[in-house]
Amino acid sequence: MLTIGDKFPAFRLKAAVSLEKGKEFADVSDQDHPGKWKVIFFWPKDFTFVCPTEIATFGKKNRDFNDRDAQVLGVSTDNEFVHVAWRKNHPDLKDLPFPMVSDIKHELSRALGILHPEEGVAMRATFIVDPQGVIRFVSVTDLSVGRNVDDVLRVLDALQTDELCPCNWQQGQPTLQVA
Amino acid sequence: MSALDDVRDAIPEPAKDLKLNLQAVLAADGALSPAQRWGTAVAAAIASRNPRLRAAILAEARAQVDGAVVDDAIAAAALMGMNNVYYRFRHLIGRASYTDKPARLRMNRIAKPAASKVDFELYCLAVSAINGCATCLQAHETVVLNGGLTEEHVHDAVRLASVVHGAAVALDLTEPTP
Repeated sequence: MLTIGDKFPAFRLKAAVSLEKGKEFADVSDQDHPGKWKVIFFWPKDFTFVCPTEIATFGKKNRDFNDRDAQVLGVSTDNEFVHVAWRKNHPDLKDLPFPMVSDIKHELSRALGILHPEEGVAMRATFIVDPQGVIRFVSVTDLSVGRNVDDVLRVLDALQTDELCPCNWQQGQPTLQVA
Repeated sequence: MSALDDVRDAIPEPAKDLKLNLQAVLAADGALSPAQRWGTAVAAAIASRNPRLRAAILAEARAQVDGAVVDDAIAAAALMGMNNVYYRFRHLIGRASYTDKPARLRMNRIAKPAASKVDFELYCLAVSAINGCATCLQAHETVVLNGGLTEEHVHDAVRLASVVHGAAVALDLTEPTP
């Protein structure tokens, strides 16, 4: 499994981005959103029980992520049509503000090393990727364990927060570098 | 007549020196580029907290220089409004146990201003002069000089900040008392 300091793999995948007819799908790639942080989280299967709660929570907090210059991407190994169907089917997912990405060929999940060995689906993994494409945080839980979105936000805050003001210089420190 | 002219005229007679000084420091002479002059003026006006002067200088700055400069000046005034208090506390207390604690404060724009980095530091310096933090002044002055500006730039920026602050005090006299 890839970990902090590793480069997040390149990808170009189909995503469900809207329920509006004719505008349901878009391509999503690692090259989108230059200069932004990315929060990329995976769930095992659409239409299952634990998933919509946490996906909806990511949706509710989307603005907090945007405020921190971060783009949220949700991914599973289901196809993009299933994503749309699930969104139509589940009231909490109707207005989801971020793309639901389809890793139908399992390539991204495999490159990240988060495919469940028996189930063959993505495990419940979360990655925070910095604007340079480097993984700065990773967490993964077993299939049935939900995750805490506030904690992801807290980690993002901590990663972005640094004492960059020269006011903080200690004697003997030459310069402070951009985080 | 511009809002700035109105504001100048509103400065009461006993404070006439400030009226003339304000005109002088905002005029295009001295070491500062237009961006440096208007950026410093905006940051100083925000830090000086007179709503009328702030609005007038913001309007004039938007007419004179790029929007990114004005935005940087706003950011510098707000961030130093925080940092001058926080780091002044650290320096005045002078106990290592506080200095060793992480501040856990966002100040990302200091590292990535929209316009010029060294000009941003100059605005921070001007605001620090108003808010009165010795270590912030020393730290930002060092960065400004290392960034290629001269003592003339620093001196003109601090003169500008001083006058803007004085003008704000004078204009406060004209505010209706509740």
